[in-house]
Amino acid sequence: MSEAAQRPPAPPPSTRVPEPAPSGHATLERPGGDDGNLADAARELLSGDYYLRQWGRLGMRNRSEEVDEFGLDPIYERSLFPALDFLHRSWFRTEVDGAEHVPAEGRAILVCNHSGVMPTDGLMLRTALRLAHPTTREVRWLTEDFITHLPFVGAFMTRMGAVRACQENATRLLKSEQLIAVFPEGVKGIGKLFRDRYKLQRFGRGGFVRLALRMRAPVVPCAIVGAEESSPMLARLEGFSRTLGLPYVPITPTFPLLGPVGLLPAPTKWRIRFGPPVELGGEGEDAADDLVLVGRASERVRATVQAMLDDLIQARESVFFG
Amino acid sequence: MSHQRSKQRVALTGAASFLGQNLVGLLEDDPRFERIVSLDVTPPATRGDKTAHVDCDLTRPQSVELIAERLREHRVETLVHLAFLSSPSHTEAYAHELESLGTMHALAGARGAGVTKLVAWSQTMLYGALPSNPNFLTEDHPLSARRDQPYFGDKIEAEAEARRFGARGATVTVLRTAPILGPTVRNYLTRYLAARAVPTMMGFDPLLQLVHEVDALAAFKHALLRDVHGTFNIAGDGVLPLSTVVKLVGRFALPLPGPLASRAVSALWMAGGGFAPSSFLDYLRFVCVVDNQRAKDVLGFAPAFPTREAVLDFAAAQHLRDVRLITDPVGAP
Repeated sequence: MSEAAQRPPAPPPSTRVPEPAPSGHATLERPGGDDGNLADAARELLSGDYYLRQWGRLGMRNRSEEVDEFGLDPIYERSLFPALDFLHRSWFRTEVDGAEHVPAEGRAILVCNHSGVMPTDGLMLRTALRLAHPTTREVRWLTEDFITHLPFVGAFMTRMGAVRACQENATRLLKSEQLIAVFPEGVKGIGKLFRDRYKLQRFGRGGFVRLALRMRAPVVPCAIVGAEESSPMLARLEGFSRTLGLPYVPITPTFPLLGPVGLLPAPTKWRIRFGPPVELGGEGEDAADDLVLVGRASERVRATVQAMLDDLIQARESVFFG
Repeated sequence: MSHQRSKQRVALTGAASFLGQNLVGLLEDDPRFERIVSLDVTPPATRGDKTAHVDCDLTRPQSVELIAERLREHRVETLVHLAFLSSPSHTEAYAHELESLGTMHALAGARGAGVTKLVAWSQTMLYGALPSNPNFLTEDHPLSARRDQPYFGDKIEAEAEARRFGARGATVTVLRTAPILGPTVRNYLTRYLAARAVPTMMGFDPLLQLVHEVDALAAFKHALLRDVHGTFNIAGDGVLPLSTVVKLVGRFALPLPGPLASRAVSALWMAGGGFAPSSFLDYLRFVCVVDNQRAKDVLGFAPAFPTREAVLDFAAAQHLRDVRLITDPVGAP
């Protein structure tokens, strides 16, 4: 025993573990191993363990053994591409313009309006850039705390590429030269009533501007039209939401009338427009500490996104047909 | 500096624990160490010619004198403080005596013996699993685990105590290890993952970060060979969702709805069963993942095994344990 304990760095068994198949589909193991005899195979088939292990392997069929550092699961995401493509092309019939304003490489911050009772806009923005951007640019969008920690929804969003919104996470993403999308309106944005649609709410405390200045990242404005009407919130249940610990409980034409199905977004026509990068009027650590400059830059970005939204809405003739 | 020093004389508290026992074995094999003093209530099974065992119960006040005397006698210049519980205990009073008072006694004894360097064990769990955590916690982040839980509170205090040891010029290296997993280590985490149905929190799938047992040991040896003052996160690269970890080990996840889970787990723990008290459920909901960059840059320690390898190594050994092809060594905690 003492000899075994003296040498803890035993050859790691994991070096023998085969790499996952490129397709991502887990392979079933043969009972008794590949070179086992019939008796071994029979013994293994009779033990409950074998079935448990097979079950576990089947559970791995649509997930990767490796996720990225923020929890994006590439195999899982790829398995949902058909559904996302359907939403993008056929359900919302999304039209994307100005995608060339999104830098093909390097760090950048997309600043978008937030809407829709369910936070579908981040996911659809990611899909839009994957399908419409010339270099299929990948975007990580930052979500509010309440979405990140909402049961099921949060876990799903994390696997699809959402990241909890905080300065540390955003800095880390930008440092690795990634494209991030922020929704500075936050919960106020998704929780606004239908009558306030496309009216940008307060842009937080300008956290994204400070981030952009400090990290010297360009700020690309982005307007998403159509998402507000896909789940119009007619009213909020204030008292009830407090008991549930949620920022709002929505009442839409279909929810809670139709149950959870009522939360599905209506097939409105979506338009996503990217504008040329907004000049913030400074850069670096000093500029980020200048509250006046930050406030002014934040307001300028807000005005730019609002103007883009107004343009898109004026040009639109029908909510459902564009 | 390590290259100038002839040969090191090291003392270890908690020498019969998993980390202590294996570290004694590693130091026995290394010619750069000439004397190992093991302090524990039972002698480590890996002790050899270089090791002098001192039967010492850190919870007793007399241990201060004993440690000071013996360390002076063996001219020990470095203390490795490992006397912490690696799993939550039902006997909270003893845990408090050991971790809080034991640290005080061990450090007082070491100070009395003129020890110039301290390597102390801490854990990344002490940052706490909070909804406001960024995905990667750095060493500057405050330790915000629930202090009302003795398992965390005592360790946080002990770590602060260890850092104060450096106030008079001693080199203090604090290594905060992520949960340790591997083929031979046994702790609350290996018991949790060894369950046929692994309880999880319904709707939550936090990212887990682990450190391979070999890396954890290598980090301590590395800290002994290099004199670097500071606190370092020791964690494997990469993260995995809890559900993937459970599946890689070949287990069922048993999702429990939140209120039920915390009640069931506390009831089970009160009754003397279960893996951990309900405060550990936070770690099944929110991320508690650290950034190991400072250990790479400043300490010069890069883990050899990512989180995934730690899980796979544990899984390989656990499958053999499941069919009783290997059993736990006698006297394992």
